[in-house]
Amino acid sequence: MKKSKSIKIFVSVLVILVLSMNMMACSTPAGETDTEGDAAAVEGFSWDMASGSTIKVMFNQHPYAEAIIKKIPEFTEETGIEVEYSLTPEENYFDKLTIALNSRSGDPDLFMTGAYQIWEYAPAGYTADLDQFLNDPNMVDPSYDVDDFYEGIIGGLRWDLKAGHKIGTGPLWALPLGFESNVLAYNKRVFDEMDLEVPTTMQELLAVCEELKEFGGPGTYPLAIRGARNWGTIHPGYMTTYSNYGAVDFTIEDGKLISQVNSPEAVEMTEMWVDLIEVGGAPSWSSYTWYQAGADFGAGKAAMLFDATCNGYFQNPEGASEEAGNLAWVAPPLPEGKTEINSNLWTWSMAMNEASKNKTAAWLFLQYFTSADYQKWSITEGNCVDPPRKSVFESQEVQDVLATNTGYIEAFNATVPGTTIQFTPQPHFFQTTTEWAATLQDIVAGNYDSVQEGMDQLKKTMDEIVADVEAE
Amino acid sequence: MMKNRLMDLLKNVSAYTVICLYSIFAIFPLIWLVIISFKSDTQMYNTTFIFTPTLDNYKIVLFEGADYIQAFINNIIVSGGAVLLSLLVGVPAAYAFARYNFAKKEDLAFTILSFKFAPEILVILPLFMIYQKIGLYDTYFGLIWVYQLITLPLLIWVLRGYFEEISVEVEQAANLDGYPWYSVFWKILVPLIKPGLVASSLLAFIFAWNSFTFPLLLSGFQIETVTVAALRYIGSDTVHYGQMAVAAAVAALPEVVLALIIQKHLVRGLSFGAVKG
Amino acid sequence: MATSANMMKKTTKNQKNIKQEDNKIPFLVKARPYLIILPALLLTIGILYPFATAIYYSLTDFSFRSIDYKFIGLKNWISMFQSKNFWHACLVTVQYTLATTGTEMVAGLGIALLLVRESRFTKTLRIILIFPLMIAPVIATLIWQLMLNNSVGIVEKFLNLFGVFNFPWASSASTALLTAAMIDFWVYTPFVMLLMLAGLQSLPKSPYESAKIDGGSPWFTFRTLTLPLLKPFIFIALVFRLMASMQEYGIIFALTKGGPGSTLMNLSLTGYNMGFAFSSLGKALPYLLVLWAAIFFISKKLIGAWLKGQQNAQGN
Repeated sequence: MKKSKSIKIFVSVLVILVLSMNMMACSTPAGETDTEGDAAAVEGFSWDMASGSTIKVMFNQHPYAEAIIKKIPEFTEETGIEVEYSLTPEENYFDKLTIALNSRSGDPDLFMTGAYQIWEYAPAGYTADLDQFLNDPNMVDPSYDVDDFYEGIIGGLRWDLKAGHKIGTGPLWALPLGFESNVLAYNKRVFDEMDLEVPTTMQELLAVCEELKEFGGPGTYPLAIRGARNWGTIHPGYMTTYSNYGAVDFTIEDGKLISQVNSPEAVEMTEMWVDLIEVGGAPSWSSYTWYQAGADFGAGKAAMLFDATCNGYFQNPEGASEEAGNLAWVAPPLPEGKTEINSNLWTWSMAMNEASKNKTAAWLFLQYFTSADYQKWSITEGNCVDPPRKSVFESQEVQDVLATNTGYIEAFNATVPGTTIQFTPQPHFFQTTTEWAATLQDIVAGNYDSVQEGMDQLKKTMDEIVADVEAE
Repeated sequence: MMKNRLMDLLKNVSAYTVICLYSIFAIFPLIWLVIISFKSDTQMYNTTFIFTPTLDNYKIVLFEGADYIQAFINNIIVSGGAVLLSLLVGVPAAYAFARYNFAKKEDLAFTILSFKFAPEILVILPLFMIYQKIGLYDTYFGLIWVYQLITLPLLIWVLRGYFEEISVEVEQAANLDGYPWYSVFWKILVPLIKPGLVASSLLAFIFAWNSFTFPLLLSGFQIETVTVAALRYIGSDTVHYGQMAVAAAVAALPEVVLALIIQKHLVRGLSFGAVKG
Repeated sequence: MATSANMMKKTTKNQKNIKQEDNKIPFLVKARPYLIILPALLLTIGILYPFATAIYYSLTDFSFRSIDYKFIGLKNWISMFQSKNFWHACLVTVQYTLATTGTEMVAGLGIALLLVRESRFTKTLRIILIFPLMIAPVIATLIWQLMLNNSVGIVEKFLNLFGVFNFPWASSASTALLTAAMIDFWVYTPFVMLLMLAGLQSLPKSPYESAKIDGGSPWFTFRTLTLPLLKPFIFIALVFRLMASMQEYGIIFALTKGGPGSTLMNLSLTGYNMGFAFSSLGKALPYLLVLWAAIFFISKKLIGAWLKGQQNAQGN
């Protein structure tokens, strides 16, 4: 008796609350902006045309962000724009960002993002199309040369919003702050001492791993690669090698995305990868993220690192790690018989909130911190690496800085032409790659009888996840 | 007789062994935390107890960039404010739950407790939207308010038990002596519940102090708290464990100081009862 | 939110009896307890709105991938109950809760009993042993992770002395739960210990004196006196530990993100992953609401039992 009455009251309170919430939502339509108006009012480009406004920027904790933050006072002085920012650890950054964008409040005006996130954010209308600014001569500093960006890098941030369509066409959703391709880094000291050849094929890599088992006593191991249960495990070395084996993640059949992770190439590649982990990987591989992989390599606990270019690079400056100065780079090893180098691309970029109420000011910020001048400074003074601009990479000062890292420039040059996003753009990217990583963990743990069986299962799971995607 | 003494000795020895083993387990990570706070990034992975100690981590965290100090001050305001507010409304509520018998009492008490059941992530998105709308996002009061979900149920439910232990005659006697209700409350009841009051306030403070999800998602531009700030030392270039250890050690200081201050109150609780194990 | 009627009818000698049907009692007196509680209720009631919203969203296809969302009925709920991930997550939640709450309660009470004797040694330990609670769980996990690392960790080096190499800790399905539970145990045992100590110190002295005269064995005294007297504190600690470990997210996420494979994917992690990492909040909310309901139900049972126990104890 009493119970049903109080449940009734509870339910009716809920109903009232939900109704009132919906009314609130209806009465305040999502943030309308009038940027077009104030942009048109400006005649000719000048850095102080948005003087007096305040913008909010969300940064992920990263050297790129730290370098920008150092330069914010200069930016404010030159433009009269005040900048408020938040700096969030990477593990939690995108959760915070997604909630903020979804609220359509206009905060933050600008945010750091990667290309994969754009596959979610752009179709939802969270990110502003940057072509509208780039194509407006009144909005662009004459010295800002957008063609200076490597085509493959900036192309990774263009997309026509159609699931299954490759990146590279359509509106520009962000501008790159830097990028990562994936290469093999090795400890020169260890290789010299043991008189080993640097591997150029996957088979050689596996053979070298056999040689390097416990090369420096207990706790040391041959090859650091990521293994944690998220997308971070799939996109660096794994996806690079996956594409070098000629495998693809999805094909489109009858307007549906069909997972190809159990194709012969994919299975052959994954078998190789699992062998590498078993022979050469860290004992606690399955909890390894970017940090542990890089740190072990820098500490001399791992002899090689198959990961993003800059992961090893950050370990190499004097004082950064035990093995600083001993680290060297080569292009990613290829399967036997292949010559063309592919590498998967990650690019930390900055995008604008479509709901921003300070778009002109935000655009000036974006332009300032993607300019050649700033990006050159960020490398020579700001602990950044891998400039997305050709002129910056080729400038003498930058070459001088990079030349202190053995093989870095050569590996960079060999890899950049084939560096692009090897994934098929689709909105469930994070779910499919997390499942992928979990399956890889299960295969390594021996929970499947064969790699084929694990990948067959993964294909089914992935097909279910993307079942609602309409692809062209 | 001999046998009994031997048994006692054995019991004492085993009791101390258990305590010592647990203490090593509990304390060693903390000692390790302090040790690595003096290690440079270079020596972090290659040395154990013998290394060249450096104060660089402390310098970087405390003096380079005022961020961490600011986060520390923010945390004191927010956590302290949350506990004070909880005490202000929670102590009377706990008293009422213990002393009065009224309709729907257990329902109301349980309702307050049940607010703690909701996983933070369940309510975080609607909460975020509301905070944005009514201007509580990224404000001290916004955090103090949401922290009530952490601190208030704990205080009320712990203190309720203490109030129930006090016999009503004590109170009635004081009332008959002509003391006004507030001095009865302040002079008689509060001293009696002191062990519970200090213990639960300390716990509430600790949980508020270390709260992560709420300050992460409901603030950030103006207000940042220490737990969020400490994780920043996982820079993308590398994990600066030394700096993180400094941040964690410094963050624990107010809690340690608080625990030391209330130690004697915890002991005073013994005056009305002692237990032999 | 109703409680069984017998609970509400109970009047004990320690409570002021306000009879509802007695109209002579002025309104203010009758309303006094409600007025005293009101501020506390008002402060927490704000959560009811977000909670109602969450229930509503669980019936929609709300996703961060799109601004629009529409009502889809029970679709999310049905697909959750059909998903094997859900049942796996329930199992992990139960395992983790038992592994952590059980050990923490026993150890917390045990340590408190050992520390209740007065000496300088115990006085110092009483404070020092609370310290683990003061390190934020996420950071504690990261420090543990560093200590347990097979390449560079201090624990590995210690184990090497005993001929144990590469103990898998969090990286193997068979030891991951143990590792996570160990860290949880490290962080939260002091919580139980502190509550138990406070409880032990507020126990009345006289029953023990008579027990001493009667010459009961320590175990007998503990079982018949200490334990029943300590019950309220045990219940409080138990309820709070249960609630928190059923919801545990931070420690597991920082340690393995739910891996290896899906070994540690409990309801919280599954929900969080689905809602935030995968952006499908509508699909995620049923997981979290089930978790909420489970905690609600279990706590209610526990507290009901507690109240009944109280009543019996006081009724005699």
